[in-house]
Amino acid sequence: MSLAKIAAKVAVAASITLVLAGVSWANEIKGKVSVQGIKSAENIAVYVDAIPDKKFDPPKDGVVVDQKKMAFIPHVVAVQQGTTVEFLNSDSVGHNVYWPSISGNKKLTHNLGTWPKGEKKPFQFNDLGAASLLCNVHPEMSGYVVVVPTPYFAVTDKDGNFEIKNIPSGKYTLKTWSEDGKPTTQAVDVSAATSTVELTVKK
Amino acid sequence: MKGRVLNTSIMASLTAVVVVLWVMLASVPKSSAIPAFSRKYQTSCTTCHNNYPELNDFGEAFKKNGFKFPKDDEVFVKEPPVLLGSKAQKEAFPGAVYPGEIPGYLPIAFRYEGNFNLNRKQPPGAIQPTSFTPRTDLFAPNTFTMISAGSFGQNLSFWIDDDISVDAANGNGGMGDGWLKYSDLGHGIGLPKNALNVRFGQFELDLPFTQAKTIYLSPFDIYNQPTVAGSLGTANNSMIFGAPQRGIEFGGTPNNGNFNWSVAVTNGSNVGKATRSSKDVYVRLSEKFNLERDPESRNAIQAAGATGPRDHTSIRLGFFYYYGKNQQNQDGSISTNLATIEEPFYRVGGDLRFKYRKLELFGLGMFGHDDNHLFTAGPPATIAVAPAVKFSGGFIGANYWLYPWLIGTFHYDAVNSAADFVNGTPASQYHTRNRFSPGFQVLVRANIKVVGEYQYTFGQPYTDPVTGNTLFFRPNTFQTGIDYVF
Repeated sequence: MSLAKIAAKVAVAASITLVLAGVSWANEIKGKVSVQGIKSAENIAVYVDAIPDKKFDPPKDGVVVDQKKMAFIPHVVAVQQGTTVEFLNSDSVGHNVYWPSISGNKKLTHNLGTWPKGEKKPFQFNDLGAASLLCNVHPEMSGYVVVVPTPYFAVTDKDGNFEIKNIPSGKYTLKTWSEDGKPTTQAVDVSAATSTVELTVKK
Repeated sequence: MKGRVLNTSIMASLTAVVVVLWVMLASVPKSSAIPAFSRKYQTSCTTCHNNYPELNDFGEAFKKNGFKFPKDDEVFVKEPPVLLGSKAQKEAFPGAVYPGEIPGYLPIAFRYEGNFNLNRKQPPGAIQPTSFTPRTDLFAPNTFTMISAGSFGQNLSFWIDDDISVDAANGNGGMGDGWLKYSDLGHGIGLPKNALNVRFGQFELDLPFTQAKTIYLSPFDIYNQPTVAGSLGTANNSMIFGAPQRGIEFGGTPNNGNFNWSVAVTNGSNVGKATRSSKDVYVRLSEKFNLERDPESRNAIQAAGATGPRDHTSIRLGFFYYYGKNQQNQDGSISTNLATIEEPFYRVGGDLRFKYRKLELFGLGMFGHDDNHLFTAGPPATIAVAPAVKFSGGFIGANYWLYPWLIGTFHYDAVNSAADFVNGTPASQYHTRNRFSPGFQVLVRANIKVVGEYQYTFGQPYTDPVTGNTLFFRPNTFQTGIDYVF
């Protein structure tokens, strides 16, 4: 076999591998979260837990959490570990952002201070868990940043539906975080293009 | 022995009940206060109050703006108002009723206050037949107040508060304030925003430190000082500076709310009917100096810092003057042979308030002067100018926020009145009636407070029943209680 033929076969094999790899990266998990003892299935974070021997670089793009009409928007945002979240104030009143802990760890408390309309303050979330966002000017304001270990996550819509895209084939552990419910853990096998899961979050 | 065991058991049970109640009340707050504005804007009491009813910087700005957010009010209103006519009706005016609006919700809130009083034991000689004070008194004065406040569109705002019940049934409650305010009257002639407002009705004067909405359990004594000459002459002026008045007030808060002016014309008879034809005049001027170093904080409504918002570091200096002409013998009660006697009077004073982060210091000095006459029955009946009846005094105080929910308070009140001393009303060991009042306030929730205040007051004379000597007794009191609004 000539060197040219070998090279051609390698190229074809590589192309097939890449195509197959591309197909596997296009997998997705679709699902629905039901709740028991909780008012709404909205704003529940669903994410793939840490994958052994797999590390992910922090995303380059940040996420914006707005403060508008004296509310954090969105109410719950899930981000990959290492993501920078920019906190924007769109109101004509001063707002403050702080969190007393991350998942109960009070050593991770942080206060970004108070700032006026139109300004942003960034913070890189490197610790896993949920940060309960508060504003000490307006105590009724509440929001959450849920920091998860993988880039495979979603937040449920008002009906509890969620969709995690671009997930490679494999077996994973799916977890949930919700404001009022207990965490749920469920194994999921992502082999088909679309895997469907049903989750239940209880109070 | 058995009695002691029983007492111990009762005390233990009571202590347990108190501890349980305290734990229930003091557990981690979940809810916020919901009086009228909280409902309208779906926001907590603490947006406007650091320690209700005292206003913080934002609350002051909200009040000065006619109970509206200083900017973009419509954005924050969660309960839209009911329009009493389309906004386009303005163009049709005067061919149509000018359009207005009423709150979309019923703007009513309620407040309850009930205190536990622990009084110092009275010595036997100090107990008068009609003034026995028991050691303890539960839930006094037991006041239930209804408050209604809001806005009727762009420029009109209103406030009504009424003590529905004081000291339980058939108490001497009544209306405190009831007024309508038109803000920004000078807009049409190019005056700065809120430089000229007008207020009608019954209202507390623009006092340097409010008496009606004070955070303290005890009043500012100087505000309550009447002028009664008694044996020294005819002066008998019952006008209470700190009580509401009926009248009209013009005022404004230009310079971003830092300068405040007001001129009120009042009956001078507090909440009663007018007792004389002349009207009284009250003038108040104050300037707040923003001492915030950070320009961003200086320009914001509330100062910002790494630990969140707080009131600006500021100092406010003020001046006030009240003038009236009291009248005696209008109905010939002194002598039918004499005409009405006019006795001009004035109150004048200055005030200071300093805020630095968690600390607030304040003080007020005031001087009162009433013309006075001496009446001789005769015959012939004569009236002659007598030395004026004067008093002076004031208060100083401090509040410190140990936590956002725990506030240490203190105020010292003093009133010097030679006339009071001579007339023995109330009797005092010295010319000065004074009182130290340290206390605490715990915001159990944003709308529920546990308050406490110890009142160390001046010595009052009594006769020792054994020796016949004049001794002095301080009727000190510790007050604590609950205060909630909803």
